Amino acid sequence: MKKIFYAICAFAVLMLSSCGKDFVTAVHNSSEPQSEYYINEERMFQGLVAAYDPLKWFDYFNEYDALNMVSDIMADDIYCGGSNEGDQPKLVKTHFYNVTSLEQCGAIWTICYSGINRACHVLENVDGVPGMTEEKKNLYKAEATVLKAFYYTLLWKFWGNVPYYDKNLEAPYIAPQLKADEVYENIVTRLEEAFELNVLPMKAAAGNEGRVTKAMAYMLYAEAVMYQNDQARYAKALEFMDEIITSGKYSLVSDFASIWEESGEWGTESVWEINYMSEGAARSWGNPIYSGGSVYPMLSGVPGAPEASGYKGGWGFGPVAQSAWDMYEEGDIRRDGGILNFYYEFPDLTLGETRWQYTGLFLKKYVARMNGNHGQIADADMNYGNNQRYYRYAETLLNAAELGVLTGKDRSNCLAEVRARANCSDTGTDQLSILEERHKEFVGEGKRYWDLIRTGQAATVLKAANHEWRQNDWTENKKYWPLPQSECDKDPNLVQNNY
Amino acid sequence: MKHLAYRIALIFAIMGLSCASAFAQQVKGTVKDSAGLPVIGAAVVVEGTANGTTADLDGNFVFDKAVPADAVLVVTSIGYKTAKVPVGSGFVEVVLQEDNEMLEETVVIGYGVQKKSVVTAAISSITSEDLKSQSQTRIENLLQGMTSGVVVVSPSGAPDATSQIRVRGIGSTNGSDPLYIIDGFAVSGGLDYLNPNDIERIEVLKDAASGAVYGARAANGVILVTTKQGQKGKTKVNYDFSYGWQNPWRKPSVLNATEYAIMMNEGYVNSGKAPIYDDPYSFGEGTDWVELIFNDNAPVQKHDLNITGGNDKLTYSTSVGYLYKEGTIGGNYGRSNYDRVTVRQTVNAVLFDNTAQRNWLNKMTFNTAISYAHMNSTGISTNSEFGSPLGSALAMSPLLSVYATPEEEEQYKTMYPEGYAHIVRDASGRAYTVVDGNVYNEQTNPLASLSLPGTKYDTDKFVINGAVELNIWDALKFRSSLGIDLSFWGNHGYTKQYFLSSKSYNYNTVASETTYDKDGNATVTEKINYAESAQQEMNRSFRWQLENVISYDKTFGKHSVAAVLGQTAIRSTGSNVGANARGLMYPYDEWKISVNNTVGQQADGNRNGWGSWNSIAYSLLSYFGRVSYNYDERYMIQATMRADASSHFGPNNKWGYFPSVSAGWNAKNEEFLKDVNWLSMLKVRGSWGINGNDGIPDFKYAVYMSTGNNYTFGSGANGSETISIGAKPNGLANPDAKWEQSIQTDLGVDLGFLGNRLTLTADYYNKITSGMLMAMQVPGYAGDSAPEGNVGTMSNAGIELDFGYRDTYGDLSYSISANATYNVNRLTKLTDDATAFYGSDHKIGQLTRGIVGLPFPYFYGHKTDGIFQNEEEVAAYVNEAGKPLQPNAAPGDVRFVDIDGDGDIDDEDRTYIGKGVPDWSLGLNISLEWKGIDFSMLLQGTIGNQVFNVTRRTDLYYVNLPKTILNRWTGEGTSNTQPKFMFESANNNYRASDLWVEDASFLRARNVQLGYTIPQKWTKKVAIQRLRVYAQAENLFTITKYVGCDPEVTGGNGFSSDLGIDRGVYPQSRTFSVGVNLNF
Repeated sequence: MKKIFYAICAFAVLMLSSCGKDFVTAVHNSSEPQSEYYINEERMFQGLVAAYDPLKWFDYFNEYDALNMVSDIMADDIYCGGSNEGDQPKLVKTHFYNVTSLEQCGAIWTICYSGINRACHVLENVDGVPGMTEEKKNLYKAEATVLKAFYYTLLWKFWGNVPYYDKNLEAPYIAPQLKADEVYENIVTRLEEAFELNVLPMKAAAGNEGRVTKAMAYMLYAEAVMYQNDQARYAKALEFMDEIITSGKYSLVSDFASIWEESGEWGTESVWEINYMSEGAARSWGNPIYSGGSVYPMLSGVPGAPEASGYKGGWGFGPVAQSAWDMYEEGDIRRDGGILNFYYEFPDLTLGETRWQYTGLFLKKYVARMNGNHGQIADADMNYGNNQRYYRYAETLLNAAELGVLTGKDRSNCLAEVRARANCSDTGTDQLSILEERHKEFVGEGKRYWDLIRTGQAATVLKAANHEWRQNDWTENKKYWPLPQSECDKDPNLVQNNY
Repeated sequence: MKHLAYRIALIFAIMGLSCASAFAQQVKGTVKDSAGLPVIGAAVVVEGTANGTTADLDGNFVFDKAVPADAVLVVTSIGYKTAKVPVGSGFVEVVLQEDNEMLEETVVIGYGVQKKSVVTAAISSITSEDLKSQSQTRIENLLQGMTSGVVVVSPSGAPDATSQIRVRGIGSTNGSDPLYIIDGFAVSGGLDYLNPNDIERIEVLKDAASGAVYGARAANGVILVTTKQGQKGKTKVNYDFSYGWQNPWRKPSVLNATEYAIMMNEGYVNSGKAPIYDDPYSFGEGTDWVELIFNDNAPVQKHDLNITGGNDKLTYSTSVGYLYKEGTIGGNYGRSNYDRVTVRQTVNAVLFDNTAQRNWLNKMTFNTAISYAHMNSTGISTNSEFGSPLGSALAMSPLLSVYATPEEEEQYKTMYPEGYAHIVRDASGRAYTVVDGNVYNEQTNPLASLSLPGTKYDTDKFVINGAVELNIWDALKFRSSLGIDLSFWGNHGYTKQYFLSSKSYNYNTVASETTYDKDGNATVTEKINYAESAQQEMNRSFRWQLENVISYDKTFGKHSVAAVLGQTAIRSTGSNVGANARGLMYPYDEWKISVNNTVGQQADGNRNGWGSWNSIAYSLLSYFGRVSYNYDERYMIQATMRADASSHFGPNNKWGYFPSVSAGWNAKNEEFLKDVNWLSMLKVRGSWGINGNDGIPDFKYAVYMSTGNNYTFGSGANGSETISIGAKPNGLANPDAKWEQSIQTDLGVDLGFLGNRLTLTADYYNKITSGMLMAMQVPGYAGDSAPEGNVGTMSNAGIELDFGYRDTYGDLSYSISANATYNVNRLTKLTDDATAFYGSDHKIGQLTRGIVGLPFPYFYGHKTDGIFQNEEEVAAYVNEAGKPLQPNAAPGDVRFVDIDGDGDIDDEDRTYIGKGVPDWSLGLNISLEWKGIDFSMLLQGTIGNQVFNVTRRTDLYYVNLPKTILNRWTGEGTSNTQPKFMFESANNNYRASDLWVEDASFLRARNVQLGYTIPQKWTKKVAIQRLRVYAQAENLFTITKYVGCDPEVTGGNGFSSDLGIDRGVYPQSRTFSVGVNLNF
């Protein structure tokens, strides 16, 4: 009997001693904790990729916020469009300067901060990754820093006074709201820090297209400096533009129209594009953040386009204003290369339907082509392969020309190069002439609205009287959208913009 | 109790005999109780001497030695008051009075038992006495109506339906199921493996003080189940058998063909069209679909065999049970049947017993219980408005026939050229009617859909407990126990090719797919899209629990002390594996259908497999202690502390501490009440404590990585475009996420009168659950999804009353017990006071939700104010600005109330319109026994609950309607509650409003049983100890104003936001059965 007793006692003691701390620590069977994830370069690269990931959501993240479209419908070249005035209320409100804290293109806010959060994860973890060379670590840091600056630049331009952080937040997850000028200062300072690492290549090697390059970061820097009218940094920005130009890695494409074809992606003129692909693309309405194609070509597509035109029937958002077509002088290849004037181009064909704010003019740069979604395997409308051309070498040249004017250095050769490619005449070399050149060069590319603001022309140009549809004038208050209401609810310290 | 009494008496008697002295007179006599029954083993001793004897089986005693004539006999027996009787003539008749104080009940508490008189916590006991007249198939039903504070709602009449049990209200938005402890072992994954026949008693630990010993798992109450153990003595064989016939207690009433045609005509006319049926009366009754889908007199049968026996060293109990229950819907099609085999074996052994020799390490006992259950059931969709058999039966037009006529079949050939080959036929080859998909959407001919194969579910469960107990020293005991629960469950099934309607079909198709390459060249390929499929899934879980407990229980004079100190470790792990595949090789032969025998290929997406191990891992490590003290059974105090570390908790809150205290005063034991004879019990008690709910999802405290955050690098132009894999944390972290916590205060009083023939218990409680896990308030700019945190708060407060009366009157013994519970539930805090907790949806809008200050969940919709009777009333319904509130309204439309007063009727005007939780839950149990005839009746009811009756599909126009539609408005003064019948109403009459909400208070005769025990003098001749035959009726009658299928609606298990929504619930059965209890 004693034996049984001792055996049981021993068993009980053994069982007890096996119940250490680990006993009640749960182990996830399908995922790893963040703290144990970044164990090699491959894993860290996954973290970096995740910071790029939100770039491709802008065209659709439960609302249609393609950056070029959202910017340009606030200016005068592009209308809102769609089937009727109630089709996409957020876009219509943006178009008519009626943005509210509840109805706005708030997905941009979410996407940008998602990107910032992920970029911060890279910056916070890369130093601890074993087996990575110092140079690789610096490269990842530089890329993440530039991406973070890119996302903040969008927030700064759309909302101005936004919460800012460089290190991911911890509970209770509250960040200070900075004034727009302070946000700017942080953006350019971070970019300058990234440049000091001196690891970014001037141009991406084959297979790496889409990653941050020195040229892309310089363009972002110039964009921010010029939008801020920061005279102190004009010289620096110009230096950067010169560096891109003298590197010889980029050049203008002679056939303007070819830039926008699939074969034109990442051509010699392309500084940076947001990548989409259609082959094997599986983006779907149920999973819109999946990697694959873009819905924007379908969104801006020609409504009722007959197959013979080579265009795929789309939904008619972002039609081009007649005034945009009319501004070109005869022979300027940017008009027919960038704008589709349907009946001018296809006098024998008929469009199946017309939509709201119909002009007969469409943004040829992006409208869906037949087979533009070849090889897609999910929702056909969501998987057009068109990359978004974000920075083109033409802009580098025009930036240089303008910064030259602003700093008293002659870069008129840059302006001349752009005009020569366009096949148009010399119409002056002062800042306003350069802006007019930008207007023609970048129709529908999301530059015009910001150019008008930074040069103080918005209030005079964007008057209801000058617009076929608008009832409201643009005023200085319209520069910054109201902060999203849900954010003000969750962070009561946020000071709302006076829109 | 009886055996113990017998043994003690025997010892007493032997001791007495050993030192007897000699006297002259021979004395004998009988000892009987007040009912005239022999008191077996009563000790009879001559006062002042050691001369004694004991009463035999018939209560007779005889002194071997002579007794003086003037002597006085002292007669004692446990449970009776001591009697002193003069010897007199030599034949002594002794009548012992029962001593109710001595016959003190005990109550099972966590890790121990306690005398009821000193219990200071709120515990409800359901004893074997209460259970003996119940013949139930599931343990949850044993609790129904039996005690206060416990609300049991049957979800449906389906044979495998699991009832929802709530102890003292809905404790959390996340899950409010109580903890079940079966013989000390926390069993996971349902209780249906337990045969109710194996249960000895059930205790419900309701307050925090009683539950605190189970710490982090006790916030929603604890249910302790004690199973039957072997009894010492002659081998006993019990066999119980019953056979019953089930029918739905109510069949929902829908329109007959004539009424249907009239209503359809009315719908057309009200839509401005011409009526479509010329002569509705020519259709007569039409097809009664509701009648057709029910399986009349669905059988239920039970067999239970139990063998017990043993001696001083070893006792055992073996039981085998079998249950077969056919569903009242689909049972005859093999679609909702249930069967269960249970086997249970217990052994209690005394390893050594040296109590006579020494007081240390003097006794060791060992007990084991092994149980196995095997269960099968077949799936059927219940409580769904979308295409469930009952939902479809309610919707089918009575003009449709069950079977297609030959002419109709001909039409199908042209209407459905592809589907025709797959229309469903019955065994004799007759084609079931194919319904018009445009009219019925996904609803189909219910008999055709019942004829399709259903998924079969099976479960095998082994539960094994073993414990050793050792007397260490004096009253100090050590107990070590190990419990193991090994479960396997799974399902398998297949889908045939079928065509039920143009919206509900499944057959192979050949698709030609055109793919384009980069240059726009098209390639066309042909591909079969297989529809038939087979699928199978198996799950396994293994759980063990090791417990070591030291207890001490001793009385020193007037001081009684009891202490428990213990440790528990629990771990469970699981795995699962499954597969499905399309394209059956032998679709015509059910025996050959399996995933193996399919042609589907993985590359085409036609074959899938999945599996994981450690899929459900859970560990718990706990230490607990309890100290109880009472002085003279007058002043009682008890304190409990438990510390739990759970795998659900993060490193910041690995250990949770759960204290409680309770105290009581038993005033009856005070001097000044000792002699108040009418009062037999007066005890007041109070308790306070903290319990936890660790039933929170894993890893809420940590951040894990998720892949799939990809991006494309490279260029299509140079062919380098590829997707790179990206990974990111799966959200923001809340390392502080921890258990939900409930703090509960309880005040109670226990009263007994007239020798405890009349008892009364009343409790007031206030339970506040805080830290309910829900999304935290985190701004979106933090860059990822908000973590869940311990944010929400819920409160439940209420009153519980239990009343009992038992007495005898001549040969009649009777008892009545009644209970009532009043509970007020409030959601008191959410993530954000402005937003609501999401609830359940329906075609007519959101039906339930939760907001701060209201019960959870509550019904959400518009308040109505009658029906517009005429144009004047419509015109008069204007806002302050004089504009019509309902511009689209016409006479016969519903008048909605402008709740927010903003001058229009919109979604903002939705408000509280009812709730599915009752205010009062009531139970009444009556039992009578008279000369072998026994009768018992259990009534159960609720007051103050409503049902959202959304069985009608307003989005389908030409479907059948509930009979109540005949009360619709047809002109001024015809109805002020039902709008005119329209297919589509500009006024949106059919949006979610109080018109759909009905009072669902009910009173139900759960169980009525009448039995007769055949007198022993006859049965003994065939070696039968006891033979009882009985007849039983379950759900004999239900009194309710509710017109739908059943006033009891849970809306599924676990998450309870569907509580009270009737989407076409499977009505409960009214079962008549007969049975036999046979004891050898």
